[in-house]
Amino acid sequence: MRHLLLGNEAIAYGALSAGVAVAAGYPGTPSSEIIETLEEYKDRFVEWATNEKTAVEMAYGAALAGARALAAMKHVGLNVAADPLHSAAYTGVVGGFLIVTADDPNMWSSQNEQDSRWYGLQSYIPVLEPSEPQEAFKMAKEGLLLSESLEHPVMLRSVTRLSHVRAPVDVEPPAPPKFGKFSRNMEKYVLVPQNARARRADLLKKWERIADIAARFISVEGDGPVTVVTSGVGYLYAVEAVERLRVKATIIKASMSVPLPRKILDLIRGDAVVVEEGDPVVETQLRILGVRTRGKLDGFFPRMGELSLRSVIEGVSKALNLGVKLPEPPRPPLQPPPRPPYFCPGCPHMGTFYALKLAAAGHNVVWSGDIGCYTLGINTGQQDLATHMGSSVGLGMGIAVADKEKLVIATIGDSTFYHAALPQLVDLKTKRIPMVVVIMDNEYTAMTGGQPSPSKLIPAEKLAEAVGLKHYAMDPADLKKSIEVAKKAIADAKSGEPVVVVSRRPCILEAYRTARRSGVRPPKYYVVADKCKACGICYNVLRCYAITRLPDGKAWIDPSLCNGCSMCAQVCPYDAIKTEDPERARKWLELWSRA
Amino acid sequence: MVTSIVVVGVGGQGVMTLARWIGRAALAAGYDVKIAEVHGLSQRGGSVEVHVRFGERVYGPVVSEADADYVAALEALEALRAFKYIKEGGVLVVNKRIIQIPGRYVDPEQVYAALSSYARTRFIPAFDIAVKLGDPIYENSVIFGFMARMLGLDGYVDWLDARNLKAFEEGRKLASS
Repeated sequence: MRHLLLGNEAIAYGALSAGVAVAAGYPGTPSSEIIETLEEYKDRFVEWATNEKTAVEMAYGAALAGARALAAMKHVGLNVAADPLHSAAYTGVVGGFLIVTADDPNMWSSQNEQDSRWYGLQSYIPVLEPSEPQEAFKMAKEGLLLSESLEHPVMLRSVTRLSHVRAPVDVEPPAPPKFGKFSRNMEKYVLVPQNARARRADLLKKWERIADIAARFISVEGDGPVTVVTSGVGYLYAVEAVERLRVKATIIKASMSVPLPRKILDLIRGDAVVVEEGDPVVETQLRILGVRTRGKLDGFFPRMGELSLRSVIEGVSKALNLGVKLPEPPRPPLQPPPRPPYFCPGCPHMGTFYALKLAAAGHNVVWSGDIGCYTLGINTGQQDLATHMGSSVGLGMGIAVADKEKLVIATIGDSTFYHAALPQLVDLKTKRIPMVVVIMDNEYTAMTGGQPSPSKLIPAEKLAEAVGLKHYAMDPADLKKSIEVAKKAIADAKSGEPVVVVSRRPCILEAYRTARRSGVRPPKYYVVADKCKACGICYNVLRCYAITRLPDGKAWIDPSLCNGCSMCAQVCPYDAIKTEDPERARKWLELWSRA
Repeated sequence: MVTSIVVVGVGGQGVMTLARWIGRAALAAGYDVKIAEVHGLSQRGGSVEVHVRFGERVYGPVVSEADADYVAALEALEALRAFKYIKEGGVLVVNKRIIQIPGRYVDPEQVYAALSSYARTRFIPAFDIAVKLGDPIYENSVIFGFMARMLGLDGYVDWLDARNLKAFEEGRKLASS
């Protein structure tokens, strides 16, 4: 039976059909659906880890014990996991160990555009690169089994245009999970210098053997005079571009794009046009092998963003001097205003930022931000930086010691806090850095679709308590009290003390789902037009997405968007925002706090 | 031959579902299909864009500018944003609905007039029809009915549930008239 499957789902089913027994990951777009799919299979150990390093460790350890294991993450997550990744190549594994990374060219949901394949070259781990969901299924299965036969980790590199593409896939049923037994092997697994040196020598030999195996992953289509070398989704665009341009070409597809086998030289005639998604990784290897290439290194194809059929047609045309001009895209008859993402109406973060803004008025604040929904604090000017997981507390501390004039307010979500800011919490105390750390606990990993967060089991205030940090609790749906709490915390930081605020209320989307299941209809708020004085506090300062500024400056609440949070009614100085049934509104606030 | 469709709208409107329905009907009709979630920060309220391509064999998952046979917009401002995708002679299907952007109010009549300046624009009152059927949630089903008829896929939706099917029929009728 053919199903319309996401690339990520296909990867999960591929691993299942290879008998994966242990799978771990940390949510991150575009990779999250891999673990989500595997989670349904209760006969195996599948988990959302606290971060990518613990995910890779979980899978690596399981593979050392002979189990078939998978770790899944987005490209930047692999940075967090880089330490165990490199050791895995040195020790090798007993059971299959597949590391799946999903890269995000064009940075649709990421802070950078790094290409995970470099990690393959750097760590001596071969990289498989499927181009579409059916192949992702096949390669996830093959990759896991190949890893076991090589006793070596294997990477599978996906990209947004594979992970988040749905296509028909024939799936095979899951194989029983293969768990294992750990056997001692000190010379291999204890990487003291004398052992590590022996492992290094062994690794280099193994890498030669893997390069020979890579030749098995090369396929060739057509036998035209023009050579096009492709990998991953680049293959799809190349086939279509060559067809549209009516070029007679030999299309070489390297499904194992790291390492590239020397044997590929036998297939290349003259210069090679290279089409690949991401950095010129295949092209660089071809150059090292002595091939003259026309790809991204000399600007035939764009170095940033994603490939498109258009850019590949133009690139192939440039590389072959065809002089093809594509029709210009039509211009819209009217330029629409941009629609940047906002907090969902009723998002607890909206309340936290509102309270912080009012409490911090008059202070010289650095808003030290982080990765997650709350990066949208940018819309109210409350994110001065957001660079990587944990940047709010980590970089905030650096700023606080470098510039003592400023008040640093770090804003970080719960999942990101557990992922990346626990050691910082210790530093904050031991170095006594005066700043405010606001943990915005919505009890879910909301940005990536509401995966669980450790916060329900291990509340952040308990950790602050254990470290010995002063801490306050905040309910962001109660704005007046939240402002008071924020003022106290700011006063502490100004007097030289590090302080933690835990602002807790569940993600409103999750609460909404719970409400629907229990038959509760959240209330709607509306503006009494006669009372509205067009001050704009609701749509400019609170900035709720459901509230529109009408041409006369008055506010209007879109009932189809309102989630009934009541925050606008709280901020309105003219008492112009009402709800039909205050009792229902009170019940909803109560249900929401327990979602 | 590959048919390329760009489906756009605002987060929460069911853009992704509409694209999947089109893909599912195409698969049921025996075609190869690719559906690409091009844009959407997994948040409500942002622009969402999904590409659907179907045909005997579909390679690239993404529709290029000036290369879409159809743009199906669940919201009129997003129709303007996706205008660049329409290929010469391509059809623009627009749900007659505007979801305003905070602080950036635009006059709906001006938007509809601009969209009407393109000869192959078809406005569908999907939002109004859905509200009449009891819930704005069905607006994507109305557009689905219209699109399925235009694409010759309206005979491959036996898997659609009864309530959505009702809205689907309303849209299909509009395409037949």
